[in-house]
Amino acid sequence: MSQAQVPVTVLTGYLGAGKTTLLNRILSEQHGKKYAVIVNEFGELGIDNDLVVNADEEVFEMNNGCICCTVRGDLIRIIEGLMKRKDKFDGILVETTGLADPGPVAQTFFTDEEVKARTRLDAIVTVVDAKHFLGQLGQGHEAEEQVAFADVILLNKTDLVSAEELARVEDRIRTINRYARIFKTEKSRIELEAILDKGAFDLKRILEFEPDFLHHGHDHDHEEEVASLSLTADRPVDPDKFQKWMGALLQLRGPDIFRSKGILAIQGAPRRYVYQGVHMMMDSDWGTPWKEGEKRSSKLVFIGRNLDGANLQRGFDDCLAPA
Amino acid sequence: MKPDLSRPSWAERLPPTRSVAGDAPVAACAFNRDGTVVAFALGDGRVRLLPADLGAALPEAAAPVHGGVALSLIADPSGDGFVSGGDDGRLLRHGKDGSTSEIASYKSRWIEHLAAHRNGTIAAAVGRNAVIVEGGEVRELGPHQSTVAGIDFSKDGGRIACAHYGGVTVWSLGQAALPPRLFAWRGSHVAMKWSSDGRFIATGTQENDIHVWRIAQATDMRMQGYPAKVKSLAWASDSRFLCTSAQAVFTAWPFAGKGPEGKPPVQFGSEGAGLMTVVATQGTSDLVAGGYDSGEVQLGDLKSRRSVVLKMADGSAVTSLAWSPDGGKLAIGNERGDLMVVDLKR
Repeated sequence: MSQAQVPVTVLTGYLGAGKTTLLNRILSEQHGKKYAVIVNEFGELGIDNDLVVNADEEVFEMNNGCICCTVRGDLIRIIEGLMKRKDKFDGILVETTGLADPGPVAQTFFTDEEVKARTRLDAIVTVVDAKHFLGQLGQGHEAEEQVAFADVILLNKTDLVSAEELARVEDRIRTINRYARIFKTEKSRIELEAILDKGAFDLKRILEFEPDFLHHGHDHDHEEEVASLSLTADRPVDPDKFQKWMGALLQLRGPDIFRSKGILAIQGAPRRYVYQGVHMMMDSDWGTPWKEGEKRSSKLVFIGRNLDGANLQRGFDDCLAPA
Repeated sequence: MKPDLSRPSWAERLPPTRSVAGDAPVAACAFNRDGTVVAFALGDGRVRLLPADLGAALPEAAAPVHGGVALSLIADPSGDGFVSGGDDGRLLRHGKDGSTSEIASYKSRWIEHLAAHRNGTIAAAVGRNAVIVEGGEVRELGPHQSTVAGIDFSKDGGRIACAHYGGVTVWSLGQAALPPRLFAWRGSHVAMKWSSDGRFIATGTQENDIHVWRIAQATDMRMQGYPAKVKSLAWASDSRFLCTSAQAVFTAWPFAGKGPEGKPPVQFGSEGAGLMTVVATQGTSDLVAGGYDSGEVQLGDLKSRRSVVLKMADGSAVTSLAWSPDGGKLAIGNERGDLMVVDLKR
């Protein structure tokens, strides 16, 4: 029985950021949709119904020699179980614990064939506590990495900070991740359309996730550990050279590169080549054709730790076809 | 009773079959101990009972007994009906008359795997623990390294094996309980079956491999080359073969004599039915039933290496198969919710 892939939204955020409030809202509001919610702490949600599933965050290493290839074993099991239900879902939300690395969750949707057949990763949504975020950055990698992985950020509890504090937090978020959409919220109050069914991992919609340059045109600060950067080229890309370079880069730096995506003008190809990845996992396809007379430029985006922009640009430049 | 698959009549027409609309995906099916009733665990929480006799009147469909999905089902080893587990965390006993009683309940846990021994003991995988039900007594073994993904008894019922991330743990159920023994292999194990002669434990892994341990020697072996996870395993012909899903034809590893090391698996049957999703065998018999993701079901004979089609492909993947105790009937369940009983005695 063929059925459409169910979209999965991953909900991350540091302890106390407002994930549970958001989930309660999604479960209790009248929106005419049916969402299954996979939570890590059953008791926290005020709502007890059979659409709420308890997970144990079982992070499994794949026995395939790939060092950063970890998956959520419990998610594979739960998704298979949910698909046995008579009633189908409009979507699945996966909540991670406040201290969780979103990597294994995302990688599960790149790795497991059955999960891939039944579901598609839609977006990673991160809830940020406007009051405590800057302090949390000093307490470990988690708060920073959750922002780095995000497609959508709820900058929450804005009512608890001054305009200046809020601007500082937003600025800090932007140095980590320039590409996520930020929504400022109080008490996790947000239209569900803003966070659900975004297609952030859909190769056909990669163009919709262009950075918000107007708002934040400044270059990233090299002092910062986790940052985002983009590389561009106006000459076509040599596919063999690019594959070699990207392969070596991910092999070497995969654990440090949280998200990557790109749109490439391949030499001699009439269509765009699009890809996106999480750590060393990569997904790619041919995109829309270039229009007659359209400027064929390529663009890569990385969000990661200790990225050397100049070095990456040099590597990318070496992949370009001779002028 | 043993059908002879070389007889031309087997290839000419499909055997008599009754198909009932179950209206929800079938998660598991089983015959009861005396083979008179077949039950299907469904994706709407119902456990639907049908008479094994194709001509008997159908009872009315019962109401859901589990909150979400009835995930697992076995014959009750000490009664006339069945035992089921659900994603509501309830372990239920069903009489063949349709009566239901609760054995135990584990809030916010799923009960996906059940096993039974003919001595009457029931085992259920509940989160990271194994729950053992002996008579009126319920006890837990664990916790294991992860959620238990497969559970099975030893031949004599004295031990229980639990598959989990990192391998298989074997617990002694005897009076003087011995410490559990770990048969380790890296990675996640997604299916497990103890051979009926007690000598081997086989698992399917997240990496599309089969792993098999020799219990006495504590040696192990790995079989690779599957295009998908092997989620269905079945020992056949008195443990002379290990049959596996996730291939386009019947695939059985020979375990007689020195074992399968250095030998290719026995493969036979007609390709074109897709990928096998479920394989089911029956004790000492050489017969093996295989269900495919296309909906086709084939019956194979490990001895003659012949196969016939029992059910045509219909686009709805086969999710479960069960043999009647006498081997004369086969129950089939699929994703769409068709509940089927095939009569092989003819």
